[in-house]
Amino acid sequence: MAAERATRQKKTSKKAPPKAATKVKPVVEQSRLWLMYPPRLITTPVIWQVGSKFNLVPNVRQASVTDEIGIVCLELSGLRKDIKAAVRWLEKIGVSVEPVEINVIGS
Amino acid sequence: MSEKTGFMKALKCRECGREYPLEAKHVCEFDFGPLEVAYDYERIAGALTREVIADRPQSMWRYRELLPVAGEPTVGCQVGFTPLVKADRLAKRLGIRELWIKNDTVNYPTLSFKDRVVSVALSRSRELGFQTVACASTGNLANSVAANAASAGLEAYVFIPADLEQGKVLNSLVYGPHVIGIQGHYDEVNRLCAEIAGKYGWAFVNVNMRPYYAEGSKSMGFEIAEQLDWEVPQHTVIPMASGSLLTKIHKAYQELSKLGLVKGSGWRIHGAQASGCSPISSAQKAGLDFFKPVKPDTIAKSLAIGTPADGFYALRVMKETGGGADDVTNEEIREGIRLLAECEGIFAETAGGVTVGVAKKLIASGKIPAEDSAVLCVTGHGLKTLDAVDGHVGSTREIKPSLREFEAIVAQDQAATR
Ligand SMILES: Cc1ncc(COP(=O)(O)O)c(C=O)c1O
Ligand SMILES: [Zn+2]
Repeated sequence: MAAERATRQKKTSKKAPPKAATKVKPVVEQSRLWLMYPPRLITTPVIWQVGSKFNLVPNVRQASVTDEIGIVCLELSGLRKDIKAAVRWLEKIGVSVEPVEINVIGS
Repeated sequence: MSEKTGFMKALKCRECGREYPLEAKHVCEFDFGPLEVAYDYERIAGALTREVIADRPQSMWRYRELLPVAGEPTVGCQVGFTPLVKADRLAKRLGIRELWIKNDTVNYPTLSFKDRVVSVALSRSRELGFQTVACASTGNLANSVAANAASAGLEAYVFIPADLEQGKVLNSLVYGPHVIGIQGHYDEVNRLCAEIAGKYGWAFVNVNMRPYYAEGSKSMGFEIAEQLDWEVPQHTVIPMASGSLLTKIHKAYQELSKLGLVKGSGWRIHGAQASGCSPISSAQKAGLDFFKPVKPDTIAKSLAIGTPADGFYALRVMKETGGGADDVTNEEIREGIRLLAECEGIFAETAGGVTVGVAKKLIASGKIPAEDSAVLCVTGHGLKTLDAVDGHVGSTREIKPSLREFEAIVAQDQAATR
């Protein structure tokens, strides 16, 4: 009996889970961020690139651009992995990326 | 006072003025601007007088109509009302007629001004029904959340960068919270903490509770004015990390003034930073109304925030009040710590050294005129940053157990002072 139950459990546990796991629908997430960029990037269409390169929907909520600094507050919607990749790319080209709260780590 | 909201009216966006219910919420849905607590000042004026305040216990809660709780505070009831010390010896050294030290090095229970903001955040968290509180911090804030949550019987999660010095971690661990070290670069850790705060239904003191939390800093301003016999000082020098404390002390003076509780107008608010992390003071000196983010490199770790959330608002307060700002090097910070200790017997952490060092510069340059009176906000205890002064405060002189050797030393000292 015990042996039979064990084999049955083994079988079922072997078969069942993978299907369920692959069926999970990717969830669209929203991320609220502040981008700050240096003068050399002010003329680059950074937000358009984020949207098209990473398949994200950017929605600007506040922005201020001077010849010293570009500051943009936006919401990015898309897959979590795409948002993460976009943030990595932004940092690589020299844009500082903060959450909407800016400094969450207090001192 | 209303059962559910006390003297608070709403949460209000600092950018567009839209109003929101008094919940655990910190960002405007429309423009993502920060939310701030709005009060019913007419009702407060009817309830709060100097006499009412004087009759209450000596803690920050004697001004509770102006703090964002609905009922009686339940966490940190003994926080605040720290000494305002007349600093005549330091005044002489810095070359100013009158000088006061607001001494939050002895704030209860964790020896920094953070106990003020945390007691408000946790009292309000309780009112909103939270059982678990959290924060992300590299020092003073973590200590205060851990201690105040412990005494209130609240569950606490404290997030820290994994590479934080062990000594600082112990000051939180001892109270028994869940301490989570996060590996990675500061910016990554910062973003993850924001995500965690958004995902879990906890009271994150400086995230979803920030509108309430930040108001706690006003109590420092209320106390300064009351301790000066209900007069707002001509000059207040305030250390800046996010810039929140500075904006809230100004707000405190404005509120007391609006309620007719104080004399004095035309006060000036001055900001202090370390040269190794001076986004706000650099912008102020350059006459800009925005700051540029920096990578911090300073011994003043409690002020090391390279992208200050309230930097923009702090700049505005300094501009509106005609205040100045400056920053000081590591050596000047240590000198500030020594000056305060030697002149007044107060041992401050590096942030205190920054405040004293910057005050010295502002007085020397005439931005704080020598014939005026100033208050310096000293916000944390020196025992928290012993490593910063290690090797910089002289050393002991050793002798054998011999009276003759000691007499030789005394003779030496007497010759030196003659
Ligand atoms: C000792 C001390 N002083 C001053 C500050 C400045 O606070 P704020 O972020 O409100 O500018 C901090 C902030 O962490 C601090 O720990
Ligand atoms: Zn708004």
